Amino acid sequence: MNVLNIRNVTKTFGDFAAVDNMSLSVREGEIFGFLGANGAGKSTTIHMVSSLLKATKGEIEVLGKNIAKHPRFAKSNIGIVPQDLAIYEQLTAYENVQFFAGLYGLRGSLLKERTEEALEFVGLGDKAKSFPKSFSGGMKRRLNIACAIAHRPKLIIMDEPTVGIDPHSRNYILQSVLKLNEMGCTIIYTSHYMEEVEEICTRIAIVDHGKIIAEGTKEQLKSIVTDTKEIWIGVRSESNISVEKLKNVPGVVSVRIEDGQIKLQSKAEVNNLNEVIQQLIQDNADIRSVEEQAPNLESVFLTLTGRNLRD
Amino acid sequence: MIILHIARKELLRSLRDTRTFMFMLAFPIVLMLILGTALTNAFTTSLTFDDLKLAYKLEDPESQASGYWNEFAKSIEQNGVLVTPLSADEDGKKAVKNGEYAAFAEIKNDGIEFYGSNKLTVESDILQGMVSAFANRYSLAAAGAKQDPASLETLLSEAGSGTYVKETSLQGDTVPDSMDYYAMAMSTMIAFYACMSASQLIRGEKVRNTALRLAAAPISKAELFAGKVIACTLINFLCVIVVVAVSRFAFGANWGDHYGPILIVLFTEVLLAVSLGLGASYLFSGEGGSSAVMTFTQIASFTGGAYFPVNDMTGFWAILAKISPLWWANDALTKIIYSDEVQALWPAVLFNVIFAALFLSLSILFMRRKEAL
Repeated sequence: MNVLNIRNVTKTFGDFAAVDNMSLSVREGEIFGFLGANGAGKSTTIHMVSSLLKATKGEIEVLGKNIAKHPRFAKSNIGIVPQDLAIYEQLTAYENVQFFAGLYGLRGSLLKERTEEALEFVGLGDKAKSFPKSFSGGMKRRLNIACAIAHRPKLIIMDEPTVGIDPHSRNYILQSVLKLNEMGCTIIYTSHYMEEVEEICTRIAIVDHGKIIAEGTKEQLKSIVTDTKEIWIGVRSESNISVEKLKNVPGVVSVRIEDGQIKLQSKAEVNNLNEVIQQLIQDNADIRSVEEQAPNLESVFLTLTGRNLRD
Repeated sequence: MIILHIARKELLRSLRDTRTFMFMLAFPIVLMLILGTALTNAFTTSLTFDDLKLAYKLEDPESQASGYWNEFAKSIEQNGVLVTPLSADEDGKKAVKNGEYAAFAEIKNDGIEFYGSNKLTVESDILQGMVSAFANRYSLAAAGAKQDPASLETLLSEAGSGTYVKETSLQGDTVPDSMDYYAMAMSTMIAFYACMSASQLIRGEKVRNTALRLAAAPISKAELFAGKVIACTLINFLCVIVVVAVSRFAFGANWGDHYGPILIVLFTEVLLAVSLGLGASYLFSGEGGSSAVMTFTQIASFTGGAYFPVNDMTGFWAILAKISPLWWANDALTKIIYSDEVQALWPAVLFNVIFAALFLSLSILFMRRKEAL
């Protein structure tokens, strides 16, 4: 069964089409990755699914019901974890979760039980009476999640829930997402971190200029990329390396330098490794390692959209 | 039920926003204390001065008039007037000019000549009144004596009873002093300040990003709106009640005997302010709403009598004062407190409720047009 169906949906703001005739489906029990650069149309899509915006054209169904006709039903079955923290600093962690869960009609002992359950789930059970101002960034992110799950939604939309937090909290959140999924929740997950999407998502859609340009499992997406290869070259000194000169090497598509590694994308049919290394030697880079990477989502994204996800 | 759930959250959040809450309480109380104390003299209707000094000279000490003058002098001395006889060679006018006396009276057989000081005008005026009263009574008695000599004694015997000075006030006893005035003015001002917090009701949710969660929840905009308006009105009315209570019990301000009508006026003023703030937040985008409300509040406070009484204003300034919601409230409260005109609450309440309904309707109209909040 599909938890979400988006059929030929368009959303325009004046003359600009933020979402352009988009169609996609999310099946029950999936962790669905929704990838796109800033301005690609993912937030607009998420806002339409959450009934925050109305589609200009097309229809959206949540659990088989059209959200335009049954907005309360759709809203009751969706939990949204916004990209920016959406909590009240003057309320305790418990009061925050209790308030948002209360908006979904929970009352009395059930509200209390679900509030405590949600806080326990995100590891803030012992911080129930604390105010968010005393929380770390990771704890606030976890509270942000607790506020979205206390009413036990069938579909949870997580919009970059790990932005700006420490690795420990990020790991905790990723494990929580997997646990929620095991508990029967369907999850739509957007992130700028490809490794997160690769790690947890069962199916992925890549959106660009308001359209879905690729959709499938990780393996299916990676199989799209057959015409590019990625080469990682480890160097001791990166200060003298000229990115522009490397980009001028025939076949090289893109170059980026991260943590002492030069990450090159190159056309698969061009054998240019010798020229790349020669250029690096000229730039006095002390080469430590050279390895060709198997295609990953980053390279898939780059190939399909012509830009990095974080651009 | 959901409305109360939202209102409860708003109340909790507002009460814990100690900085804003303290401002709403401390600002009017401190201002009341400062203005009420500093401007005491501007509101007082009494004058205090030192002894009234009257010098006099008798042209003929043996005359009948001189005899009655001496009686009169004794009488006014009992009322605190220092009456000093001058010898023939002393210059009374010069002594007055030098400030030694407030007035000089020369009692002659054909009348009394009076010289008042142009420096001690108030004292001089009072003495002139007393001397005039004596002169009139003496003239009357003298005229009456031609018909009935016994009446002369009767008329002038009253000289010792202190009836030369009679106080007549044009104002009643219940005139607001400075603390009374500023207690009322600050309470109506802080009631109107509710529009500033109201302008942030929806805007604040957007800034905190919680607007997205609220819009995604299965509640109607009307429920959200109602919950917020109720909470904002209650919390601001609570502030007003605290300010009224502090002014009454800590500063001894006079609030009269009709607390019910007074609180009704203040409550409807808060309701008007909340509606106005909400309306402005929909009419102006971004921080524009708050800025517009802030500016309007300051102007309305200034022209409506928050910082000084505006009832004596005339022309353009009077018109400006009367279009301030604070003036409606202040005028109604003044009449209720000092004239016991309880029915004076109705014009203010009617104005407040009509405009509140207008601004709330506008807000609902704009809110419905918006896709999210």
